[in-house]
Amino acid sequence: MKKMKINGAFLNANRAWIFLIVVMIIGVFTPKFYTAYNIKAITGNNTLFIWLACGFTICMIAGNMDLTVQYCSTFAALICLGTHSRQKWPWLICILVAVLMGVIVGMINGLLVTKLKISAFIATLGMQFILRGLMYLYAPDEQSIGRDMAANEFLNDKLIKFLPFSAYFLICLIAVLIVWIFLRWTRTGRNVYMIGGNIETAWLAGVKSSRITILTFVISSVLCALGGALNGIFSGAANISMGEKGISPLMIGMTATIIGGTDTSGGSGSVLNTFITMIALAFLKGIFKKTEMQVLVISIIMILCIAYETIAAFRRSKILGIRPNLRNEYLREKGKA
Amino acid sequence: MSDQNKTVLSPKTDTRKTEVNKGILLFNRMGIWVITIALLILGTIIAAANGGHFFDKSNIQSILEAVALYGMVAAGLFYVTYSGNWTDMSIPLTMAMAGMLTVQSINLGFPVALLIGIATGLAIGMINGFMIGHLRANPIIWSWGFNLLLSGIIRVGWGGKQLYADTVAKQTDFAQHSAQTFYSISRTYIGGIISLMAIVMLCMFVLSYIIHAKTSFGQKLKLVGSNYEAARFSGINCQKIVMMGYMISSTFAAVGGIFYTALRKTASYENGTGYDFTCLTCVLLGGTLLSGGKGSVLGTFGGVLAYGILNNILSWIGIGTYTKYAVQGMVFLLIVFINTYTERKLGRS
Repeated sequence: MKKMKINGAFLNANRAWIFLIVVMIIGVFTPKFYTAYNIKAITGNNTLFIWLACGFTICMIAGNMDLTVQYCSTFAALICLGTHSRQKWPWLICILVAVLMGVIVGMINGLLVTKLKISAFIATLGMQFILRGLMYLYAPDEQSIGRDMAANEFLNDKLIKFLPFSAYFLICLIAVLIVWIFLRWTRTGRNVYMIGGNIETAWLAGVKSSRITILTFVISSVLCALGGALNGIFSGAANISMGEKGISPLMIGMTATIIGGTDTSGGSGSVLNTFITMIALAFLKGIFKKTEMQVLVISIIMILCIAYETIAAFRRSKILGIRPNLRNEYLREKGKA
Repeated sequence: MSDQNKTVLSPKTDTRKTEVNKGILLFNRMGIWVITIALLILGTIIAAANGGHFFDKSNIQSILEAVALYGMVAAGLFYVTYSGNWTDMSIPLTMAMAGMLTVQSINLGFPVALLIGIATGLAIGMINGFMIGHLRANPIIWSWGFNLLLSGIIRVGWGGKQLYADTVAKQTDFAQHSAQTFYSISRTYIGGIISLMAIVMLCMFVLSYIIHAKTSFGQKLKLVGSNYEAARFSGINCQKIVMMGYMISSTFAAVGGIFYTALRKTASYENGTGYDFTCLTCVLLGGTLLSGGKGSVLGTFGGVLAYGILNNILSWIGIGTYTKYAVQGMVFLLIVFINTYTERKLGRS
């Protein structure tokens, strides 16, 4: 086992947990915060963002950005509720149709990036516009589609009686754990990290980089589609601006990814850290009731994280190529070591 | 040639193609103007089919007006893309912030308020330029995060309210007059034909063209965009050059934001939503490479015009605002694909 040392690097690596602990300590001083009802409501309302953030994190670990996450989830919710209310299909088939849509979107994203060699940011940006247009074609009026009480109650109920979480949140938790295990313990999962670090080296080492890239996009889109469909059932309604309260869900997903410690150029990061950060952000939203303050506080934390990483990388790049023994000697002379 | 190869060389002949496809070369050279002319012809046909005239005075006027604000911002955004930093995601809030501060300081008189608005853009560009140019932050992540921060500052600072110039202005003749002047800048028609916004857009494109083509800054920027390390080793102060690119971009965005605020008559944090992506579309349509170092201001102007004409044609066909998104997305992907494809086929990327 590695020796634990509490220094800047250790704090930075575990900043998601520290963020969560700080927020929970602030929560003690907030009236009526630690009640079962409040925690259930907060976690339930923010579960959609957890799905999005996890999808975004996977793509970012592979070195790409997936901007379609938000519209993928909204479109999935519209399709799921729409097919249920229009075609009267059972829920499972509706959810499957929505997930299938996610697979198609992910495939298209991946093929655009790998085969047509369009950079991921631009490809998913274009897909975002196409999805938005299709959404309006599918549901032209901005009214919410579909209502069904039975499925809604199942997702809102507590699955495990002594835990203050809704079934929807627990399903999300299980999905996150599965993805975490996949990324951490399987060969394909490790390959995702490899192509994020350096795609050319990974290719030379025998990793099928195109296939893995497509896979990450598909996983991301499927997570978002599943989350969106379940969120539509959970909240009993779906409309075109689902989850948008002041900040766009895409932005929240990106914030959680970055605060969670995922490298912005790919190659390192963890879905679990993103999940922890997202919980902390959800609690933060519960503490600051006003949207304006939420936006400011979240953005300040995010900016600090980005600035810290930037400055650290800048310092590293300055000593790049200097011989370490000479550098140590120099530092010792200056009395800094 | 091929006969000789067969006889003289060993069985391993070089089968790589050396000649390039004429069509690819033409597209790579002409870029957007081919598309613009094609769109113009298409527009003429569609308009005639719908019983109208595409080259009507009012139609041209409406195209120019719709495109004016995008043009102002895209003329500046070109520098960020050209310097190899992809895009500036903080454009929406730069526009909103410039509009907010202009309206807030309208009591000092219109020219001073205008200057304060432009200075806001310059300051935001400086911060972005310092972080991205000097400290080499990830351009998209940083500018998007900064966008959110600015949004938070505006929302908390003004309490999420909207500002109106005539209510902010005091009840004196001077202040009210400057507020009215502020409103009128987006509604002035010079000679009753062409709007002031279109004129300003053209002036900004001319200015942008001069900076890009006639100054040493533009030449250095080309080198920085095409190969950062080579530029550094040839003695160019890359950090300063990238920073200046960001400052120009934000200043132009601020001018666009002021006109936008005057057009909407309200200043709020929502001003400028969607301008980042639309202007990036215009710049990329104009043949500027995302990786930097290739492109021209003239091409960007063509991209802006093509975007306006495309929107106009879609309105002629009778496609709704939201359905336009899908068409725009497809066109966007197609153009970017053709750009990257031709670059790759010519062996330049």
